[in-house]
Amino acid sequence: MKPFVIGVGVTKFGELWDISPRNLVKEAVTQALADSGITISEIDAVFVGNMLSGVLGNQENLGALYNDELGLKGVPAFKIEGACASGGLAFHNALNSILANKYKTCLVIGVEKMTDHKPEEITNALMAAAHEEERTAGLTFPGLYAILARAYCKKYKITEKDLASVSVESHYHAALNPKAQFPFKVTLKQVMESNYIADPLKLLECSPISDGAAALIVAGFDGKKMKRGVEVIASEVATDSLGLSGRNDLTTLKSTVLAAKKAYEQAKIVPSDVDVAEVHDCFSIAQVLALEDLGFFKKGTSLKEVIKGKIRLGSGAPVVNPSGGLKACGHPIGASGVKQIVEITIQLRGEAGKRQVEGAKIGLTHNVGGSGAIAIVNLLKI
Amino acid sequence: MLKNVGIVGFGAYLPRNRIKISEIASTWGKKAKDLESALCVQEKTVADFDEDAVTMAVEAGENAISMFGISPEQIEAIYVGSESHPYAVNPSATIIAEALGFDSDYMALDLEFACKAGTGGMQNIAALLEAKIINYGMVIGTDSAQAKPHDILEYTASSGAASFILGSKKEDFLVQLIDFVSYSSDTPDFWRRDGVSYPSHQGRFTGEPAYFTHVIGATHALFKKSKTQASDFDYAVFHMPNGKFPKEAGKRLGFKDKQLEPGLVVSEIGNPYSASSLLGFINLLEQINGEKLILVTSYGSGAGSDSFIFKTTKKLKSARNLKSFKFYLNRKRYISYSTFLKFSKRI
Amino acid sequence: MSISPVKIWRHQKIISSLLKRKGKIISWTIVRTPPAGYEQEAPYPVVLVKLDDGLRFVGQLVDWEEKDLKFGKKVEAVYRRIIKPDPEGIIPYGIKFRPL
Repeated sequence: MKPFVIGVGVTKFGELWDISPRNLVKEAVTQALADSGITISEIDAVFVGNMLSGVLGNQENLGALYNDELGLKGVPAFKIEGACASGGLAFHNALNSILANKYKTCLVIGVEKMTDHKPEEITNALMAAAHEEERTAGLTFPGLYAILARAYCKKYKITEKDLASVSVESHYHAALNPKAQFPFKVTLKQVMESNYIADPLKLLECSPISDGAAALIVAGFDGKKMKRGVEVIASEVATDSLGLSGRNDLTTLKSTVLAAKKAYEQAKIVPSDVDVAEVHDCFSIAQVLALEDLGFFKKGTSLKEVIKGKIRLGSGAPVVNPSGGLKACGHPIGASGVKQIVEITIQLRGEAGKRQVEGAKIGLTHNVGGSGAIAIVNLLKI
Repeated sequence: MLKNVGIVGFGAYLPRNRIKISEIASTWGKKAKDLESALCVQEKTVADFDEDAVTMAVEAGENAISMFGISPEQIEAIYVGSESHPYAVNPSATIIAEALGFDSDYMALDLEFACKAGTGGMQNIAALLEAKIINYGMVIGTDSAQAKPHDILEYTASSGAASFILGSKKEDFLVQLIDFVSYSSDTPDFWRRDGVSYPSHQGRFTGEPAYFTHVIGATHALFKKSKTQASDFDYAVFHMPNGKFPKEAGKRLGFKDKQLEPGLVVSEIGNPYSASSLLGFINLLEQINGEKLILVTSYGSGAGSDSFIFKTTKKLKSARNLKSFKFYLNRKRYISYSTFLKFSKRI
Repeated sequence: MSISPVKIWRHQKIISSLLKRKGKIISWTIVRTPPAGYEQEAPYPVVLVKLDDGLRFVGQLVDWEEKDLKFGKKVEAVYRRIIKPDPEGIIPYGIKFRPL
């Protein structure tokens, strides 16, 4: 039994004031169904990735809610939550049910509605992904990653200017993605001149507040290869301490390292086999750590490579975040992990148009929850 | 005369922030020099945004505990005097005791009597010790005083805490408490109604009929009771609402400038209400040694004065706090009036 | 923001064991866009501290100056109010760090 992604759909990400979460999901699922060629009645189970519906909107029970919305009566449905990794984890759970022969065809939905609320409320809500001690200290998510950034920059003698270069790359790609929240390039100067959010991280190094939804149809098939179906060859999850005070090393996310190791072993490949990757770049430093923890570059060297263009369309090996990443495509929390799979699927099928990574055969998605408390790495192949 | 009461440990706390009288004066278009000389105050302490009467009391209490070396579970009573208790109903005393590591076998009480709530607490702890009901008791005077903008009190109302541990074993005494009296009356010179942010006062009425009548009244009563006079004492400490009143009261009671000098701290810290006379007392204790006789008279509006006779012992010399009053006095950061506004109103 | 008094009560029991403990700064940031409830305090530094006994702790830094924000700076745990609660709520007190 092999799992294949057979349909994808994604809404535009951004400040979508007039689109409700229900309509966001309807839009993404309609696209995914059309893309897959199946009808909704063939769905055996629904997995919804979302973090803040309860914290911000006082609405839980999302499995039942979206079934209701989509007209899926009686079908098993689940909300999966793992902070910013909710989408990736929803996908992982769908896969497990297919591998266990429990459900054959699954609908995976990632959705988040953030802009209905004030910035301070959102900042507060996002801290639900962190440790109590960190909330008591008045930390924010940028603050958590800033603490990691400072330790990394000290150890590897990295300047703020070096760190800012990843945002430039993200925006370069987003300019080619009509669904991105910020489909335009930015210069290093603009990043450096943006205001500090949590020193040393600046505004243009932080992913935005976004609304959006993404959907996948994932199905299990024996033997025969699916036309336009992209096979999932590994999906591994690992955890680390909830809070930063439990980490032994602030310059790596062990959860990423472990999940990646297991995924590469499962798929019998090495990092250099990956042609295209969507990594978790909630902040500039997150991307830097990801590039190294996933094995693409040696520890402390990734920024040097980034500045040389080694993750950019045309010269990258791998090309990283062709969608624009969380930073430039946007980061509706629960939707991001699912969008990453959508992007990699489109890339591997050769349907990515202007942002197509030439000859992409193997793709990787990397989705992290909290400040590294949980990580999931998926490997896909055409 | 008391037989079984002495101070076995003490500790102070002052916030880091200072605002100069001149800074407040320039905001209101007043002449700094006039105010500085009228009040004899140069600057005052300002509690930070996350400090209040409880947080300051905890640090002062920690300092007293580490001076004596007692384990907090041995303290059997804690009385906390303030006019800025964070709650109208919910005792500061138990919040502070819990933070300091007391167990459960202790009496706890919050007191209020304007600026003499701390010394009132000391009288009561002394009574418990004299009657051998307890072996060790802690008293704290702590305030994060507020004043109405533009009011004269704005120049002096400040923040600070003083903590004393008292015991009944003579060999532990750093200072023996010899005797005390109080002088009380119903005199509405300064007050604050429940729910109102700032106190009110009756201007010049707070002088003669209020401060002077009670401070002098209590001290005279104690002189008479103990058959002493000003010249018998080495030092005297009075409540300091400003720099002028304690000097005038001292003068009228027959004290000389050099007897008053070490106890005068108001010029540099302002008036931290319930901690005022107690911090002046601590400043004095940190500078002297040998057996000295000291008079301390507090004043609380509404009104009353508590007057005490203390005698230091030879053991005082060896008592040291890593974080002395002087340490906190020298730890300063000047703030602007706008920062002062940001921090205040945090009762 | 109203915090459960029971939660505050459980929390307060650990405070006395942490007070006066000393440690060193191992990383930090300055929060400039605070979460709800912390607006009036911003900007403020938050430090990751390694206590002398090896335990690591995250907390706000108080009574600080620019020059205190450096790797290895010695700090001590102090008792402060965590946030200003809503007018009817219980006041949460807790641990912050102060440069030595």
